[in-house]
Amino acid sequence: MVGESAAGAALPGTKKKRHWPPELNALIGLIGIAIIFEILGWVVRDQSFFGNIVRLKIMILQVSIIGIIAIGVTQVIITGGIDLSSGSVVGATAMIAMSFAQVGTYDKAIFLEQGWVDLPVIVPIIVGLACGLLAGFINGALIAYTKIPPFIATLGMMVSARGVAKWWTKGQPVSFPTDQFAALGEGMMPVFIFLGILLLFHLIMTYTVYGKHTYAIGSNQDAARMSGINVERHLVLVYSIAGLLAGVAAMVLAARGLTAQSGMGVMYELDAIAMTVIGGVSLAGGRGSLIGTAIGMLIFGVIISGFTFIRLDAFYQEMIKGGIIVGAVVADVYRQKRRAAES
Amino acid sequence: MKKTLIAAGIATMISGSAMAESIGATIASFDDNFLTVMRNAMTDHAESIDGVDIQVEDATNDVGKQLNQIQNFIAAGVDAIIVNPVDTDATAAMSKAAADAGIPMVYLNREPVNVNELPENQSFVGSNEIESGTLSAFEVCKELRAAGKSGGANVVVMMGQLSNQAAVQRTKDVKDVVGMDMCNFMTIVEEQTANWSRVESQDLMTNWISGGVEFDAVLANNDEMAIGAIQGMKAAGIDMADVVVGGVDATSDALAAMKAGDLDVTVFQDAGGQGAGSVDTALKLIAGEEVDQKVYIPFQLVTPANVDQF
Repeated sequence: MVGESAAGAALPGTKKKRHWPPELNALIGLIGIAIIFEILGWVVRDQSFFGNIVRLKIMILQVSIIGIIAIGVTQVIITGGIDLSSGSVVGATAMIAMSFAQVGTYDKAIFLEQGWVDLPVIVPIIVGLACGLLAGFINGALIAYTKIPPFIATLGMMVSARGVAKWWTKGQPVSFPTDQFAALGEGMMPVFIFLGILLLFHLIMTYTVYGKHTYAIGSNQDAARMSGINVERHLVLVYSIAGLLAGVAAMVLAARGLTAQSGMGVMYELDAIAMTVIGGVSLAGGRGSLIGTAIGMLIFGVIISGFTFIRLDAFYQEMIKGGIIVGAVVADVYRQKRRAAES
Repeated sequence: MKKTLIAAGIATMISGSAMAESIGATIASFDDNFLTVMRNAMTDHAESIDGVDIQVEDATNDVGKQLNQIQNFIAAGVDAIIVNPVDTDATAAMSKAAADAGIPMVYLNREPVNVNELPENQSFVGSNEIESGTLSAFEVCKELRAAGKSGGANVVVMMGQLSNQAAVQRTKDVKDVVGMDMCNFMTIVEEQTANWSRVESQDLMTNWISGGVEFDAVLANNDEMAIGAIQGMKAAGIDMADVVVGGVDATSDALAAMKAGDLDVTVFQDAGGQGAGSVDTALKLIAGEEVDQKVYIPFQLVTPANVDQF
């Protein structure tokens, strides 16, 4: 992991000199938090925190769906943008895709009268991917061609997509999917889907022109344009991918709960952004990697399980989670200052 | 100001027909399943009565927005207002605004903090929240006894959003039941929030199981969390016949889970009855009839024995 993150430090725009990679800070944080819970485990519960297969599984499983979103959000943030719409896109996509995945034996199925039930699983998947892609494409096109700030464009999508989620069935939940659709969220499947997407985009970001352009735009948009990158087209592509991945997350989430509800995914965008930032991706753009985001995601997973494990009251959980997010950004700012002083 | 005038203008245009009684309703959130059933029953009932116009707004869980909606209704000159409060502590200002304008108001589903000081032409339609958690927990207690576990039984409690009155009340109800002589064989071993959410409850249950928590019953503040707990237990290979699971709400998903033999107890809160009841109460208040300050629509216990009636 450390070796791979070193590749991130040798990206265009940064100097060849070896720096302490931000992913390493996140990794140290993860190990530190893990050790704290392991010790607390023996003190409070008289058992090992990590020596438990079920717990190790749930630690990853419970954050893998937001992790899928975070993979897209990371790319957006590396371009220097932000995506606030992911949670709402999850809600809208889950509702729409799920309504094409219901079984005919359920008498309240949305398209029962039209006979669109028991459809092959590919139908809801294509519908879901298309929904996510469309939302992302609109975000990207607005940002690239009307030049409005990403914060505003995706804020608009956040509100509108939540409206779509409620409008689609007038607020009724959509439950009882076919077995094939449910398989998307069964057992450890969300983790496998996450890992597959992570590997794919890690390779893309590290070894392809797409990745290099993404970093270049985030480092210096004007310089990227000068060097012949079609910045507008590339931004549309990056936001479309982020939307697409939110769509994937939506289907896995709906399949996991065996239900889609219009309130699904609320605040997911903020969790995804927090994972990204904790993983050392700079909100200023141009720096960071998906490996960092994956570590940030694991930190979230470990603390959720850890808090439950040591029976910490829910009130304190939120307070501490907020503290960790802010702490990570403070560390990032401090690191940047030090780096600026060095060079 | 300008916004209010425009809203008032549009509202008068929509509810313009001469003889109609117009009702403005604001619902805490259109996202919520239960509130959706209630809202649909409310609009269906209003539309079935000749000469009643109803306009329903979504307060999107925002107290400030809800107050604005009420003020817009007042400016539009509706004949009555129905409020499903976002926050039951924020109702005093709403009551005052409606009372000053002389417009009747009905609180729906969530009991306002000022329920005992409501002005003459205001009333509360809903269910007595204390009943729901108590009914569910007491039935679980009886089923544990029937299963021969009266020598001692471990219970885990899944709470809703901690800022929500219903979550606080239902959790307290569980504790009150456990404190009863007949049920004090039950011990609460874990108690944690899953924010009303199915997937969060699935994760919480798996975290508990991984910690070696052993339990004979799950008491969830709502059905969504009860279903999530069931999914988590099934994934861990726990036989649902060994665990008593109780929820609240009797949603259609929950009834299906009960018919499948997974869910043991839930409580039916008559969402439709409340929605329709609010319209009837509003019409009575408009007509100047005597109305009770609290109009209670009773909860009903649902078990596999009577699940087919729901």
